Amino acid sequence: MKTETALKTSANFQDADAFYECLLDAHQGLNREQSELLNARLILILANQLGDAQLLQACIAAARQIDTA
Amino acid sequence: MLETPPAYARTAFTNGYEFTQGTGYALPEYPFVAPPEIGAKQLVRHPIVIVGGGITGLSLACALARYGVEAVLLDEDNTVGVKGASSRGICYTQKSLEVFHRLGIYERIAAKGVQWSVGRTFAGDDEVYSFDLRQQSNFNLSTQPPFINIQQFYIEGYLVERIYELGHVDLRWKSRVTAFTQNADVATLTVETPAGSYQIEADHVIDASGSHTPFHDWVGATMQNKRGDDRWCIADVRFSKHPPVERHTWIEAPFNDNRAVWQHLMADDVWRIDYQMAPNADPDAVSREDVVRERLQRQFGKDVEVEIVWVGPYAYRSRCLDKLRVGRVFFMGDTAKIVSPFGARGGNTGVADADNLAWKLAAVLRGRASPTLLESYNAERLEAAQQNVQVTNRTARFLRPADGMERCFRTAAISLAKQYPFARALVNTGRMAVANSYTRSPLCENTGGQSVQNVAFRWANGSQGVVNDLLQWADGDLLVLVFGELTATGLERLQRLAEHAPVRSVQVLAPDERAQAVEHLRDINARGSAHLQGACHVFGHAWALLRPDGYLAATGEAVDGQLVAAVEKTLGLR
Repeated sequence: MKTETALKTSANFQDADAFYECLLDAHQGLNREQSELLNARLILILANQLGDAQLLQACIAAARQIDTA
Repeated sequence: MLETPPAYARTAFTNGYEFTQGTGYALPEYPFVAPPEIGAKQLVRHPIVIVGGGITGLSLACALARYGVEAVLLDEDNTVGVKGASSRGICYTQKSLEVFHRLGIYERIAAKGVQWSVGRTFAGDDEVYSFDLRQQSNFNLSTQPPFINIQQFYIEGYLVERIYELGHVDLRWKSRVTAFTQNADVATLTVETPAGSYQIEADHVIDASGSHTPFHDWVGATMQNKRGDDRWCIADVRFSKHPPVERHTWIEAPFNDNRAVWQHLMADDVWRIDYQMAPNADPDAVSREDVVRERLQRQFGKDVEVEIVWVGPYAYRSRCLDKLRVGRVFFMGDTAKIVSPFGARGGNTGVADADNLAWKLAAVLRGRASPTLLESYNAERLEAAQQNVQVTNRTARFLRPADGMERCFRTAAISLAKQYPFARALVNTGRMAVANSYTRSPLCENTGGQSVQNVAFRWANGSQGVVNDLLQWADGDLLVLVFGELTATGLERLQRLAEHAPVRSVQVLAPDERAQAVEHLRDINARGSAHLQGACHVFGHAWALLRPDGYLAATGEAVDGQLVAAVEKTLGLR
């Protein structure tokens, strides 16, 4: 149970560089507003893949730690 | 009032909030009778004084009358129907209908109102999602439908007539409370009437006087408030068009400048069309007759004949008291909390507040429970109030997102909902009211706290009964349902329990099981299915302890000390 909801802080990507490139490519040719919408849609799609309420909360809390970054 | 249709012909039209007083309908009037206290030398002390004769106060009064408990109800005018800005309920939940069934007015509501179970949500011209509540297990066990829509004043009128029939409650019209004090011994109210003013004393005061209550100041109640800039305008209309009997909501309606619209039916063929206005729109301007007519034309076409019954502008608002009891005063309905109207969480929770306190007051006043039982009203109904405020605030935020990222996420959610089923869950045009569960109640074990649907079964003689019949038979006492065959000790323990505590027991049997208790019934309805056990959230050999408000206090397996402990806890003795 715990392991399902715990925030993964070490890399879980199969291919981190390829993902990052893919993400940037998706924004190619979009203006700021379109990019924001794409990001918002992507977040909602990814959130549904995770589903777990505690994990989602932990992800949001982790993303909010902007000052310490 | 009730058999003659309301008079629509001479509908007066105004664009002010005073229009919400109900000039669009012919409302009944009740007689003012000068109370015995006027001119009396000694103060009269009443065990219960209810302030406010709206749906909440009248539900409480009617429930008390059914238990044979004496009370006085003070209402400032002499009719039903709501004064004030926005609160005119039209949509009643299954739980409320089950309560009204117990109070004896359900048949009239069902005959007058409109049943519905399908809701559809649109964005632009696309349907984003739909639901049919009849297909959902949390609705389909009850003998009452998921929802009935009917004008609030009809229910209030039925309640008044039922109270007159039952007696016990003194309905005092044209009686305005102008001052209030309380101390450790007693509460004192000053009441103004056409025959002069007088004072009465009370042990318990229930404030059901609505959102403009003076009691918050009088007792120093503290609360959380939230106000938005979003404006809405309701138009209740009759017209030559006959839309489907469904709840339709638009998040972005092309015929309303891409703002939200609600469309819903009620009795007398009246439709409620509720339009979201521009932020901070002027209420007077948006509710002017020509403006309302133009808006209706844009939605339904120019050739549609429209008769405007009522127009009511309102703004988002939520408020929740920090405590629903201050000294001798209990707050319920709109004095306890105010929610935006999404999901019918206003009036229905007022009815639930009333139903929650009624049996507790009755049990305490009849000497069957400890006065500490009354404290649980705050724990249970505050949880419900906070939940309803939270749920409606979330809807309000979806419907009026802040500019910037909030709007961006809404656009994302709507666009995804058109493409993928998962995102429909994010589209929030109001979550329909439910019977709130109690998770932090001092009365309920953690196996309890849920409402039990009013399911059908067969009595020992083969005739059909429903859960409400059992509750009525228990007459305010707790009810133990024991499922399956009993051991000899179990049977003896049940008998002893009934001798020493306000508890009645019934054995619930499958068609082939052997009856041991005198009071027993068969868990099988007219269609041959068994639902009682499922409605009580138990399986196999088990017991379920039901409160008079149809909520589970606890469930368990063997008839042992656990059941006795649960009974004590439910009566506030432990």
